[in-house]
Parts: sequence; C-alpha cells; structure tokens
Amino acid sequence: MQQQRSDDRLVAYLDGELEVAQRREVEAWLDTDPAARQRMAGLAESAHLLRMAFDEAVHEPVPDRLIAAARGEAVPLQAGGAILPFRRRLRAQIGASRRWRVGLPIAASLLGLFVGSGIAYLGVGRLAPDGVAGKPAALEAAAANNLWLDNAAGYFKLVVSAGDSPPVDIPATGDPREALQKISQSLPQEVRLPDLKPWGLSFHGARLVVEEGRPAAALVYTTDNKAIGPLGLIIGSSKQPDISPTFDRRQDVNLLYWRHQGRAYALVGQADIGYLWGIANDVAWQLDAV
Amino acid sequence: MSSRFGDQLIAVLPRLRRFARGLSGSITDADDLVQAACERALARQHQFQEGTRFDSWMFRIVQTIWIDQVRSRDVRKEDGDIAEDRLGSDEPVRRVEARLALDEVRRALDRLPSDQRAALLLVTVEGLSYKEAAEVVQVPVGTIMSRLARARIALQLQLEAGRGGRRSTRDAAAAQ
Repeated sequence: MQQQRSDDRLVAYLDGELEVAQRREVEAWLDTDPAARQRMAGLAESAHLLRMAFDEAVHEPVPDRLIAAARGEAVPLQAGGAILPFRRRLRAQIGASRRWRVGLPIAASLLGLFVGSGIAYLGVGRLAPDGVAGKPAALEAAAANNLWLDNAAGYFKLVVSAGDSPPVDIPATGDPREALQKISQSLPQEVRLPDLKPWGLSFHGARLVVEEGRPAAALVYTTDNKAIGPLGLIIGSSKQPDISPTFDRRQDVNLLYWRHQGRAYALVGQADIGYLWGIANDVAWQLDAV
Repeated sequence: MSSRFGDQLIAVLPRLRRFARGLSGSITDADDLVQAACERALARQHQFQEGTRFDSWMFRIVQTIWIDQVRSRDVRKEDGDIAEDRLGSDEPVRRVEARLALDEVRRALDRLPSDQRAALLLVTVEGLSYKEAAEVVQVPVGTIMSRLARARIALQLQLEAGRGGRRSTRDAAAAQ
C-alpha cells in the first residue's frame, strides 16, 4: 500500500499534477533516496518510449474512408481503405469544399515570402540565394521556396524558444485590431485578423517581416493547448503563380502554405497535420468573408 | 451537419487514430473504431457542448465504443498476432533496434488491462490532464491516478524484462 502511494506520487510528479507543496515534498524525497530517483528515471524513460511508439500514427495520411465518415458521407466499414498522401487528399478536399474554392480572398505567393526581421538573428544574411537569377525558373522558384520555408521554420523556433513571451513588433495589447492597423500601415495591402479562438488560439501580436524587399506580416497566436500552439500565420504578397495548400516539414516544424491571386499564406507550428489543415481551412474561409 | 463540426472532426482524426490504435492494438480495428466514432459523433453532435474540449469528447466516444466492443466480443489479440498490421510503417530507414524497442513498448501496452491502457494513452500520449482523462473515461480523478501509476510501473517492468531478454539473446549469439 505504501509502495503504491509512493508510485502514485512519483507518477503524478512526472505528469506535473502535484501542487507546489506536494512537488517540493517529492523533490526532497528524491534528493535523499537514490532508489526513488532511479525508479523515477525509469518511469520517465518508459513514458518517453510510449510517446515515441505512437508518434508515427499522427503523421500518417488519414484514410479517405475516415475523412468521408467525418464529413457524414456513407461509407461501409472496411479494413484497409485507400490511404492517400496528405497533399493529394488536401487537393481533393479543396476541390470539393466551397470554403477552399471561394475562400481565399486575397492572394499571394509564398515563394518569395521571406522572414526578414528574423533573418539576421538566424544568421541568414541575404533574402535570396546567390546565383539564382541565372537558373531556370522552376529551380529558382524551388530555391526561393526552400529558403522561405527554412526561414519560416526558423522564425517559428524563435517564437517557441521565447516561451510565454514570443517576440513581436506590435503586441496585441487591448484591441487586437489596433495591432493589425499598425502593421497594415507598413504593408501594401490591409491584413485582416482571423479569429482562431474556437481552436483555443489567442492573438498574441504581429511582426513585420520582409518578402523580396517588401513587407509582410507574421501573426503570432498562442494557446495553452500543447497539441496546437503556439502558431504563426504569415501573410504576404508575391507575383508567383497560385498553388494549392501544401504541407512541408522543416527543422521539426510543420508548415502548411498556399498562395492565391497575389497573396501568400503559411501556417507554421508544431501542431500535427490534421490541426493545421483544419485551422488553414478556417483561415481561408474567414479571410474570404470581406 | 455544420461545416465547423466536420472540420473539427477531421482535424482530430490523426489523434483519434493514435488513441484507437493504442486501445485496439491493430491499425484496421483502430480505423474501424474511429469510423464508428465519427458516425456516432455526427449523430449526436447536438450533445457536444460548445466551449468544452472537442478532442476529449471524441476520445470519450472512441473509448465508449471500444468498451462496447470488448464486452460484446473478444477483440483482444494475442501477443504474436499484433505486430503485423499494427505497425503498418513503411519506413525502411528506421533502425532495426529502435523498431524492435518500440514494438516491445506497443506489446507491453497491449498486455495491460484495458482501463489502465486507456488512462496511459490519454495522459501520457495525448497529454490530457488527470481531470480531463477522468472525464473521458468517467471515473474519479483518484482512480485515474492509481490506474496510471499501476500502468506505468507495469510498463516499466515489462520493458526492463524485455531488455534483459534481448541482452541474453545477444550475449548468447556473441558467445557462439
């Protein structure tokens, strides 16, 4: 019984479920009891392994039959339904969804959207790679895209490393619209703020970034839900052709990006694909409602 | 069906699959379970309370359907029956040792009683608080706490035993 109580306390300590006083008690106990420390290290390791063992499940493409079931379409229970890559599934979804079809009011190109203010900090001194001009257009676009995605992921990592106070140029103190107005003054087009509260995301502030020498906005959202946030939404403009929402992963950061009629968007975060997809859909729908 | 409800449901699908896979020990059973949960959620979407956690509500539906299935038929698989379709991974570059270790974790989880398994998956894998997990499985917080402790200790012991077994095999092979 005593052992069970000790185990309960150790496990609750590891899970962050103890009050301050209880936590101190456990820490004092661990300081003086090597066996308890060893037991706790073993518990922490097994928890880590368990998370790893099931991590791949959330990164796999979701079978179409489940997407259909979630949309309320009649599908028989059948084992081994077709599994499509996320990108293809997303495109199919976009074709079928009114939200995506008419949802993107403004347009853009992420190919040229570079995170400017974070670049110097990240040690990326130039906004375009050397020698790009002489390459074929496709290679140029790919190089620019790669650079942008890396920078966006790097900027997001800055946000994460700042903990509770992600760096923003214009904080959302008081009225968030005021922050947007301020940042819009520096941008060629007005930036509107998607309301992501249904996802538990609060607007934290905005940061001015640079796209091929032109300003763009990075909106930072925060949440207590570790499965989703924090999250960055980058909105800029570009002359590159439209692309459908496309998933990428850089530096352990997930990115869902697309561009439409001269404006570019990217959701950047550590949320899994499913969340990013849902949130991106919401963003597109809201920004269409001009 | 409101489109927001459908969007929320789609967004949570990857995590539902992971949770269901942990409960059932099988990819195909898990996906059937998630599909059934989607259908039930859509039929009962009026019961979802705005402002509460949608993922927790869905976990509860998955858990309820799973319990119903366990009661109505023996869906638990024997240890040797699990690994094939449960992994479903096509990552050829994954190191064999690491894969074996993770296989062992899944097998160890599958040997736990289903109530402990659910508690472990909800808190340790899905990151729910004890209170949220207690609401999903509809038991007091203290029950979740003791289930978790028993599950974590049992899991650790099984993994240690597995490691010992692997070492013995490796030592024996090296001695030959």
